[in-house]
Amino acid sequence: MTTMAEKGEHRYILNMGPQHPSTHGVLRVILEMEGEYVMDPQPVLGYGHRMHEKMAESRPWPNFLPNAARMDYLSALIYNHGYVGVVERLAGIEATPRAEYIRVITSELNRLQSHLLWLGVLVLDLGAFTPIMYTFEDREKILDILEDVTGSRLTYCYMRVGGVVRDIDDKFVERTREYISWQRSRMPMYDKLVTGNIIFRKRIEKIGEFNPDMARRYGLTGPVLRGTGIPYDIRRAEPYSVYPEFDFEIPTETTGDCMAAYLVRVREIEQSLRILEQALDKLPAGPAMAKVPKKLKLPAGDACYAVESPRGELVYHLTGDGSDTPYRMKIRVPSFSNLSLLPELCRGMLLSDLCACMGSLDLVIPEIDR
Amino acid sequence: MSTVMNTGFLPLELLRIIFALICAIVIVFGNAVVMGYLERKLAGRFQRRPGPMEVGWHGILQLAVDGVKLVGKQLIIPKQTDRVLYRLAPIISFAPAIMPMVVIPFAPKLQGRDFDIGLIFILAVVAINVLAILIAGWSSNNKYSLLGAMRSVAQNVAYEIPMLLTLLSVILVTGTFSLRGIVEAQSGGAWFIFFMPVAFLIFFAATLAETNRAPFDLPEAESELTAGFMTEFSGMGFSLFFMAEYTYMFIACSLTVILFLGGWSGPPLPYGEYTSALWFFAKVYALLLTMIWIRWTFPRVRFDQLLNFCWKYLVPFSLVHLLVTAVVLKL
Amino acid sequence: MESKDSVIAAFKKIPVKVEEVDFAQRGYHLEIRLESSQLRAFAELLRTGNFYLSYVSGLHLTTGIDVSYQFANYGFPCRLLAHVSADADNSLPTIADIFQGANWHERETKDFYGVIFRNHPNLKPLLLAEDMEDLKPLLKKEQALKDRAAITRVEKIAEDKPAPAVKKEDA
Repeated sequence: MTTMAEKGEHRYILNMGPQHPSTHGVLRVILEMEGEYVMDPQPVLGYGHRMHEKMAESRPWPNFLPNAARMDYLSALIYNHGYVGVVERLAGIEATPRAEYIRVITSELNRLQSHLLWLGVLVLDLGAFTPIMYTFEDREKILDILEDVTGSRLTYCYMRVGGVVRDIDDKFVERTREYISWQRSRMPMYDKLVTGNIIFRKRIEKIGEFNPDMARRYGLTGPVLRGTGIPYDIRRAEPYSVYPEFDFEIPTETTGDCMAAYLVRVREIEQSLRILEQALDKLPAGPAMAKVPKKLKLPAGDACYAVESPRGELVYHLTGDGSDTPYRMKIRVPSFSNLSLLPELCRGMLLSDLCACMGSLDLVIPEIDR
Repeated sequence: MSTVMNTGFLPLELLRIIFALICAIVIVFGNAVVMGYLERKLAGRFQRRPGPMEVGWHGILQLAVDGVKLVGKQLIIPKQTDRVLYRLAPIISFAPAIMPMVVIPFAPKLQGRDFDIGLIFILAVVAINVLAILIAGWSSNNKYSLLGAMRSVAQNVAYEIPMLLTLLSVILVTGTFSLRGIVEAQSGGAWFIFFMPVAFLIFFAATLAETNRAPFDLPEAESELTAGFMTEFSGMGFSLFFMAEYTYMFIACSLTVILFLGGWSGPPLPYGEYTSALWFFAKVYALLLTMIWIRWTFPRVRFDQLLNFCWKYLVPFSLVHLLVTAVVLKL
Repeated sequence: MESKDSVIAAFKKIPVKVEEVDFAQRGYHLEIRLESSQLRAFAELLRTGNFYLSYVSGLHLTTGIDVSYQFANYGFPCRLLAHVSADADNSLPTIADIFQGANWHERETKDFYGVIFRNHPNLKPLLLAEDMEDLKPLLKKEQALKDRAAITRVEKIAEDKPAPAVKKEDA
């Protein structure tokens, strides 16, 4: 692929972003090009940098709850989950069983809508406009369900230390069940419309060669990693919340290309639906909020809490010093590490393939910039 | 409009041409409006949404409002563009699109002028569009525009070949380049699509690429090149390109109808010499709808795939087709 | 390395101080304290042991800046957190040539704390603007600084930690 482009005499710089249709947000990539071949893509970050880690250090820990949702707007509830998880772990509080189930249910709904959006956007990056409208139709149903219980549609602030802020009711359960069967009935259509489309397959098969060694060097996690054949999912590897109680698979593929990442994500939709079904069946009665001291101080010490976001491993590392303000909070976001392999991955690729690669990495830029 | 009126008086002949040109311009603009509305409405239906609904009944006046908006918009000319070429490019793209309308036979008696070399005339005029795109890309002084223009040139040059080769198969049968002659050769339902369906498919695929329509819309690939050669154009500059695209689509589909679908022929109508244009337009719009349908269904191909498809499949197939046609005719 | 115990055994070679901690309370399995001279050997050991780098981050204490490295393994549950104190000139050797992913994490740490990573291929600002190089947002003010003892878990907390949530069923 790189044969024609080894001399480097006729190179020119193409600035992609921060406002470009396929960088999905304010990511800028400086591309050193030779004809249509990308010789050296260098991402430039920081356009949406808000210094969430400093904000966490400068206010009492409950005031950071809304911030958690504003890093990754597509998996806000999973960020909620990680944050309350780390505070609970450090302070030694346990949420009620019902709350844990509700957390899993809402997290999985959140994961589903993130995957659905990604599915539409990836195909949009490849030039087909229609599937995104279909996935949005599905996604709307999830957003409606979540809006009823959390009060917002995107930047949720729903989970609290010890539980969740509002209990779910029978109507929620019923609507979620309806949604599950609806989503199941839609998947064959996506198979025909997208997966079976010959142009789509030719565009992403054998594009982007991820392999386990590269994944280790860069700290790659999430569906792209599972596309290389490693069944690594925090929900299984370091089970948190009530995930051990559910029966679900970790889909993997072995080819390690963009198609593998695509197939893994599509199959994860079905697994999330399975988790949802089981969680709704097993949902225990009881309070949705544990008794937590009104003025909870974070004890001295540190704790980590890793959760599986739709994009990979999300880790909160919280250090407390006995006051109610964290001494330090580090947030490890998956897209940051996932994007950092772009220069190595996309060297010598066509511009169109770069778009396909960025699409299958499923980047959320505010999460990277934090 | 009939050829019977051709009595040799120059002023009368001139009047006829002028009248034909005016009609051509009306068709061009009418087609742009109809296509603009159809495309948006159909795209809406394909995507399970209603499409334009606000202006007029079911948004029927949407295009008029859009037109006013585009005319009223400031034409932004970025610094460091080649100003002359930048202003010229949309005009060079749009103006040649009107000319083929004069020779297209809509009905037995609805034709501006029947040239003996009508087919070659259309192909020659339409090819100017590539130049316009190249000028647009070059003069914009934008790398995305230039990439789009380069793609456009490579793509159009490549797809011209299978298109011409399949045309030759038809010409071998009819023995004339006159569009009217080609249509008359298919009278009585003997449409060429029934005799050479492969040629029809190759021709249709090539026209999709020639008109830069999805899945071959690489010159303006939105997700890669923002808008390709159109990136820097705004207001009327943009809308001229836009109208030119629809007009070229119309011309391409008209050619397909003339060459393979029997032109105006269809069940007899009263005053058939004029009204059979109805069949012509019905066929053309059926093809245009197919183009829209394809666009809103398929992803875009990659550039190397596009050229491979042309050189490795379309060109050999059309060559073989030409050979087979020639042999069959000789027998 | 196939399990946590073999990892601990392998660390004896360097040798580093390893402490096994309770995962349920801390969220990671091994806590490690390193000298800056051991850092590269440590990273290379983990690289051959098929670990991946989760993140690099910092911690500002009265004694200076502590840089922490978190590693985990795709194959078995073993998350380890290594702390290294930056040298007197506020620098550390880079591990970006061993774990390429560290490149950006180290740049970020440089942005936030000003720690220089020696021999780093490209230590330009990553998240902050180029003209904000003196900002160092995560350095704390003198009066807010704590020493290590203040942020270390006191074991007695583990014993009489706040009573686990009282379930409301009886209420």
